[in-house]
Amino acid sequence: MEGFFQALAAGLLIGAVYGLMCVGLGLIFGVMRVINFAHGDFMMLGMYTAFYLFTAAGVQAVFGNTVGPFVAILLAGPVLAVFGYFVHRTLISHVSGTRTASLEGEGHYAQLILTLGIALILQNGGLIVFGSVLASIRTPLSSSAWELGPFFDMSVFLNKARSIDAVVSLVMMILLSLLITRTRIGKSLRAAADNPTAATYMGIDVDRAHRTAFALGCGITAIAGGLLATNYPFHPFVGLEYVIVMYAGVVLGGMGSIIGAFWGGMTIGLVQQMSTLILPTQLQNAAIFAVFLLIIFFRPQGFFGRMVERT
Amino acid sequence: MLRIEGLSAGYSAKPVLNDVSIDVGAGQFVAIVGPNGAGKTTLFKTISGIVKPSGGTIIFDGVDLLAVPPPQRAHLGIAHVPEGRQVFPSLTVMENLEMGAMTESGRRDWQANIERIFEWLPVLKERRNQFAGTMSGGQQQMLAIGRGLASSPKLLMLDEPSMGLAPSTADFIFERLIEIRRQSGLTMLLVEQRVAEALESADHGYVLEAGHVVLQGNNATLRADDRVRKAYLGM
Repeated sequence: MEGFFQALAAGLLIGAVYGLMCVGLGLIFGVMRVINFAHGDFMMLGMYTAFYLFTAAGVQAVFGNTVGPFVAILLAGPVLAVFGYFVHRTLISHVSGTRTASLEGEGHYAQLILTLGIALILQNGGLIVFGSVLASIRTPLSSSAWELGPFFDMSVFLNKARSIDAVVSLVMMILLSLLITRTRIGKSLRAAADNPTAATYMGIDVDRAHRTAFALGCGITAIAGGLLATNYPFHPFVGLEYVIVMYAGVVLGGMGSIIGAFWGGMTIGLVQQMSTLILPTQLQNAAIFAVFLLIIFFRPQGFFGRMVERT
Repeated sequence: MLRIEGLSAGYSAKPVLNDVSIDVGAGQFVAIVGPNGAGKTTLFKTISGIVKPSGGTIIFDGVDLLAVPPPQRAHLGIAHVPEGRQVFPSLTVMENLEMGAMTESGRRDWQANIERIFEWLPVLKERRNQFAGTMSGGQQQMLAIGRGLASSPKLLMLDEPSMGLAPSTADFIFERLIEIRRQSGLTMLLVEQRVAEALESADHGYVLEAGHVVLQGNNATLRADDRVRKAYLGM
């Protein structure tokens, strides 16, 4: 019983970070309908950016070992957003948005090849620049825990770093939801996603909306990556491990639903941690996809997906 | 206000519009009628910049429109109420109207515009928090018109507002459009297959067939024309 609650707590904490990670991808897919295979590698870049901001750029010296990593992680978001903005402007925009009309298969083939190519360049470039040694953004909080309880002789231990990661993820998620639902920019992103042609008639620059979504999506996933790096070591090929989880989360939540992507990621975190109760740790990912297939079997449109395609 | 001269346009190799010239004066209500596939919707898409022309000029309010990027054209004062309504289904009615008001003039006049739109199309007020995708076709059409009006346009372009609607709903929407025009004096360009109604309320009409303007004139001239009477009015 104690193990169950412990796994549940761990699942909720990691699920919140996975949720944020999936939202970054979900935003890009939802607004642009571009399948970005390089998204895990953008996250890898976010991890290294946070790492170097912390260790080499003076964040550690100014903020110390406890607060410093989180400051560096939050700063990595805007850095990757700017990077994503330029990747969109120089590469992705040529095969997406208003250019798709003149491309075969609405540009999807070109998008697949292009984002796969970007992924390869980032992975191998990362190997050259960062080396293959595992890195991590450790804080003293990573190896200490808060004790909840005891309730009825049971205690649940919450890793301090993971708890703060989860809180940061939730705050980011709330801020993003407010941006998407309340602001003029957010509404115009949704309009551009619903119907790019009609959005153009309204005077919305669809390519600019896409660029904004891409930059936001990269920044958000970079922050999620940095948060993961406080507990999980990383390397230049780490993106491959996560990009599958991201896609599973986005599909679970319902393709195109931004809030859904968060719940999709949360579900994956929960399944991953809970599965350790009955399965060996090596089968965590197998468990994720068993549950994934089960949910998709009964609800093919995902939690928040619409069966009817957009008009 | 809008002067189109010698316009040709099409998709890849297939020409749809051939040397089309159309003139819409300030405050005028101009109707373009013609059968399916005559190029009416392509003409609107060319004005909005979704289709690139192969020749000709479009001057709007003294500006060479073809030199203006498509998303900027709305900001010049062109509101396009597209064929098949094309409201934003996952946005609420109110959010759809806000999207109409992305232009500078739309933001400035937001309060006054929204009051007038709700007065003309009260169903939008009743349903302002409903998702547009869950409304009926007629309601969506009214929303599309409201969304166009929310930009404080100089020119309202309506592409087949009666399409796919029950005759009584289509009649109601026509009646609303005439009332909106009577009260606001807005310049309107209408594309319609319901030729009789369109020609009845318009100041000036063009008949478009297979990409050519085959006939034009004021409504009395057109309605008296033998070809129009036979082909479109069933007389």
